[in-house]
This record gives sequence, C-alpha cells and structure tokens, in this order.
Amino acid sequence: MSKTKNIYVALAFLAPALLAVVCLRIWPALLSVHESLLAPRATTYSLENYIYIFGDPIFQSSVWTTLFFSIVVNPLQIAISLGLAILLNNKLPGTGFWRTLVLLPVAIPASVSAVVWAAALRPDGLMNALLGLFGLGPQPFLTSPQQALACIILVTSWIGVGYWMTILLAGLQDIPKSLYEAARIDGMNRWQQFINVTLPQLRRPLTFVLVADTVSNFLVFAPVQILTRGGPQRSTNLIMHEIYNRAFAAGDKSSAYAATVVLILLMLTIVAIQFRMMSDKGES
Amino acid sequence: MSIFNKAVRTAALAAVLSSVSMVAVMAADVTLTLISAENDAVVAPVIEAFEASHPGIKVEHQSIPFESMNAAIEARIGGGDSSIDVLFVDSPRVPSMVARGYLKSLEDLRSEIEPLVTPVALDALSVDGTIYTLPLWTSTQMMFYNKDLLDKAGIPHPGADQADRLTYEQILDLGSKAQAAGAKYGFAFEQIDRYYQLQPIFESIGGGSGLTGAGNLTPDITNDKWVEGATFYAKMFEDGIAPRGIPAGQVPPLFASGEVAFLVGGPWRLAGYTSTEGLNFGVAPVPYFANGKPVTPTGSWALAVSPHSAHPEEAMALAKFMTLDPQGAFKTVEANPIPPVNLEAFKLYSAWFAPKFPGVGDDAQKIMGYELRDSAVSRPLSTGFVAFEEVMNRVFGDLRNGADVKSTLEDAQRELNSTLARIQ
Repeated sequence: MSKTKNIYVALAFLAPALLAVVCLRIWPALLSVHESLLAPRATTYSLENYIYIFGDPIFQSSVWTTLFFSIVVNPLQIAISLGLAILLNNKLPGTGFWRTLVLLPVAIPASVSAVVWAAALRPDGLMNALLGLFGLGPQPFLTSPQQALACIILVTSWIGVGYWMTILLAGLQDIPKSLYEAARIDGMNRWQQFINVTLPQLRRPLTFVLVADTVSNFLVFAPVQILTRGGPQRSTNLIMHEIYNRAFAAGDKSSAYAATVVLILLMLTIVAIQFRMMSDKGES
Repeated sequence: MSIFNKAVRTAALAAVLSSVSMVAVMAADVTLTLISAENDAVVAPVIEAFEASHPGIKVEHQSIPFESMNAAIEARIGGGDSSIDVLFVDSPRVPSMVARGYLKSLEDLRSEIEPLVTPVALDALSVDGTIYTLPLWTSTQMMFYNKDLLDKAGIPHPGADQADRLTYEQILDLGSKAQAAGAKYGFAFEQIDRYYQLQPIFESIGGGSGLTGAGNLTPDITNDKWVEGATFYAKMFEDGIAPRGIPAGQVPPLFASGEVAFLVGGPWRLAGYTSTEGLNFGVAPVPYFANGKPVTPTGSWALAVSPHSAHPEEAMALAKFMTLDPQGAFKTVEANPIPPVNLEAFKLYSAWFAPKFPGVGDDAQKIMGYELRDSAVSRPLSTGFVAFEEVMNRVFGDLRNGADVKSTLEDAQRELNSTLARIQ
C-alpha cells in the first residue's frame, strides 16, 4: 500500500472524530470569538464587550472565585484520588467492594448528586444531624458565604474523585513489580519508593488527570446552579455560572460570548503551563 | 449475481413500503410539545380533552423547573428549536420575549380574544397595543393558617373578610407565639425568595415595584421604603420565624406537614392541602403594613405558539383550545385551582370552586374576589423584566441568608443599572 493511500485510510478512520471536533469544538469556539466582537445591536467588530466585562466587578469577582476554586480543588482532588488509588492497589480485604463504592458517585448524574447533597446540607438536613451526634453545633453550609464554596468543593470532589482514582489505579497497576523489587534491594523505604518509582512511573496518567481535572473543574456548572445559584453573595459564582447568567438570565449574549472566550483562553493558558511543567519534570 | 439482484430489489421494495407507511403515519398523527413549569398532572385534564376532540393530534407535555424556564426559552426558542409547539409564558416576560423575536403577533385573533377577557387582561397579553399571547390564567394570594398550631398557642383564627386583614407586624408577633407553643416556623411565603410574591411587601410599604422611568428600565431599589421592606424581610429569617436554606419548592410541604403556622400562598395550594390527612387549616387575606396599603400579586402564565413550531396550525388549535374555548380553559384549572382569564371559563370555575373545597372554599372564593378587584398589583411590564427578576430573586436569596440589607440593595442597583443599560 502506498504512503498516500495509507494517509487516505487513516483520514477515513479519523473522519468521524475530526468532524466531531470541528463541529462541536472548533466551530462553536470560532463562533464565540465572532459574536464576542459584536456589541449589542452593532454590525462592526469592536472590543466593547471585553471592555464591558473587564470593567464589571461581578465578572472580575467570578474570575477570581474560579481561580481560587481551581487552586484548591485540583490539588485536593488529585491528592485524594492518588491516595485512594494507592490504598486500593494494595491487597486489602474487600478491595473490589471499596473500588465500586468509590467509583459509584461517577455513575450518578452530577445533577442528581447535587440534589441529594442539597438535602443533606440544608440547615435541618443530615449533615447537621451528624454534627449534632458529635456534639458540634449546626453549620449554615450553603447559606453562608464563608462555607458555600467549600460545600461546592466537597460535592464536586465527591463526584469526581472516583473517576480520577480509576485512571490512576490503572496507571499504578502498569508499573512493573520488578522496579519495586530493585528499589527494595537498594534499601529504599516506602516513601522513597513512592517518590522515586511510583511518581515518575505515573507521570503520564498523572498529566492526563491533572489536565482533565483542571478543565472539568473550570467547567463546573450543575452543582453551582442546583446548590447555590452562584450565591450567597456571589461567593460561588464560578465563571461558567456567570456565563450562563449573562446569556440566559440577563439575556446579554454578547457579553456571555466574550466571557466564554476569556474562559477558553484562561483554560488553554493553564493547561499549556501544566503540560510544560509535567514534560520538563519528565525530561529532568 | 441473481441473489445480489434479488437482495437489492427486496431492499428497495422494503424502503419504498416503509417510506409510504411513514408518510401515512405522519399524515395521521401529529405530536405537539407543550412546555410549562407545571407538573404533568396539572395539564393532564386539558390534554386529555384536547386529544379526545382532535383525533390525530397527540400532546406531549415537558415540565421545566420554574428557575430554568427563562434559560430553556432563551436556549430553545432563541436557538430556533422546532420541537416546541406551545409554551407557557409568564405575563411580565412578554415584552422581553417580543423584543427578542420569540413571540409572533396574534392581532388576527383580536376579534376572538377581545370579547372573552377584561381590558386589563388584554393589556397583559399585549405589547404597545399588539396582542402576542393568549389568555390563560391570572393569580392572587391568600394566607393559609394551621388551626391546630394556632389553637395550641391560644391565637384566635383570623377572619376572611377585608376588615379582618392583619398587619405584617401582627403576623410576626403571632408567628413567634406559635413557635413558642411548638410550631417549627411562624410565618413563610410559599415562593420564599421570588419577586412575584415579595413585590407586595415593597408596594404595600410604598417603595414601588423596583423599576421606574421610561419603559420601566430604571432600577429604583435603594429608596428608604425599599430598605425598610427589605429589612423586614431579612428580619423574618434572622429571627428564625421563617426558614433559611430551604428551596422555594420545598416550602409548601412544610405547611402540609404542620411545621408552619402562617403561609402566604396561591389558591393552587388548596387542592393539595385539602387532601392532606390531618391538616386542619383556614384561609385569611394577605397581611399588609400598618402604615401602608393592602397589596397582593397578580398575573400568571399566558400561552404562546412558538414561532419555530413544526406544526403551527395544530399548535394554534391547542393554544386556542386551552384559552379561548371555555370548556378547554376550565380544564386547565381543574387540577390547579387558579382563576382562568377567559370570562366564560371563569363562570364555570366560580360555580365549581367553593363546593370543591369544603370548609375553606367559601372563604377562599370571597378572598380571591376582593383581592383581584381591590389590591392586585401586576409586576412591571418592561423589556428588562427578565433580567430584573433574576437579579431580584438572587437579592432575596442573599437577604434571606443574612446579607447586609443596604449594601446588598446598592450592589444590585449597580448591577441592574449596568445590565439594563445594555438592554436599552
């Protein structure tokens, strides 16, 4: 088979995926850029929508809230996922049961999880009843601007951790046992094995989990909409919710498009930095 | 080769036959999609009646949560989705939807609509004198009280006459008393953080609707009276008389389960409450401020045909059946006792209402009569109403959770100034 023919065959196989990427990703992104440059009722391109959103304290606060949320939630979820993966990689009694239990929230739609948590986190809900058993006073949870974002982090982590854990677990099981045997012969303790064998060997799955988790946490929407609708006092108004609000509540689609472009650029920048850091680490 | 030819011929014949039968099926059956924020049970009687009188047309109802209705309309009607045929439209949202091209003029139906509705109702269906929606329901409110909780606290049952109307100040006192005697909550609004039910607080105290100026596009929510009304509202929660952290949709069941002494709610609650075993309740007029005037909310859902409907004629037939046909319009309220706007249907509704709810039906009917006549205030008509309502609902949520009243209102005023300027 000639090289050209090979390329055609490869393209034919790739066509459905490429078509999906163009129609569902690239085209909407380009459309967002186009629309974001058109101010309401305007027919010529301008940066008016961008000037408007960057001058708007509500948009500014949603960007800061999102960045703070990302800085906390991503390391937290990855650390918990990795911890659980290592724990469940050992031959503990009932490992299959525990793995299923941790993975179960992934199988439940995010909206259903949020509804269940909304009931549990009500002032007269299950969580406060549990705190009461331990002699702790009732907490305001979702009604407090100081606690609501922490509740969103709790719910998104509850949903996501099992999924990321499964990927890391698969990565752990791919590490050759001989590497650990060699490390033990060299006199490494468990911690040294983790640092010198497990982490370097997990670099690829960890890079994937880091990037995918970051992107998915930038796009968190359902738990915010169901649990807090961005409140109290905009303390949980993540950028996705702000875009939704602008487009569908305020009916200001122009500024929603501009905010979408800002979100895409923000995500691309952070993901590019992550790739760079992870590959540098690998080379060193 | 002959096997191949045979297979091709068979496949071609099957394709022709299946396409013929498809056309036959499509000609015989049209399925319309109706969207609303109501439960399926509310629209089931009218759908059943429509399908019986219009063979070949089926109606599928899609229930959308109230909070998502704006977004669903923006996304689906705004996106040209042809799968929606008929939709419920909250009356004050009509100007905004017309401005975005989501509603078509219904002027050709003026001669059919005009004789069936009051001039005030006709205004609510129109923008700048052009009719855009069909008349479905109107609304009013009453105050439900739990007789057993009041008896325990030694509180006399409030009367149902206008002269018996209590003040908000009295209600908070009585609510606290009921709590001291065992009620979990003293007083609550059914739509606990929604503008529709809370507008009367600010109108009663003299603060206005919150929108003013040309086209109602200027926010006015930081005047002294608004601050006073909002302080009263926030205090209800601060003092624990009304519940925090419970979504609006979960408040009505609190009254049904005997946890709330007084609840301001719509007549649509009567169906559920009268059938709740062990719930012993009465109804009274909505409270007012001692230094203000009685005000109750009004307005409700109207009906519209989507401009993108794939079956515009059948969709219009359904919309007309639900609104202009007296029997059809009455069927829309049979499982949801809210007054229909159609005057002929209202006569059927009036005759049916009181006997349907023994014990409270007479009082409820009396209250609805004078509230709709004397104290009803509509939500402001404005192309910016949808944005205003969304912001205000968030403001009420924040006040409920303990946010500072003055700074919250000032912040919302700034946001509204900025948002509404984009609409102007």
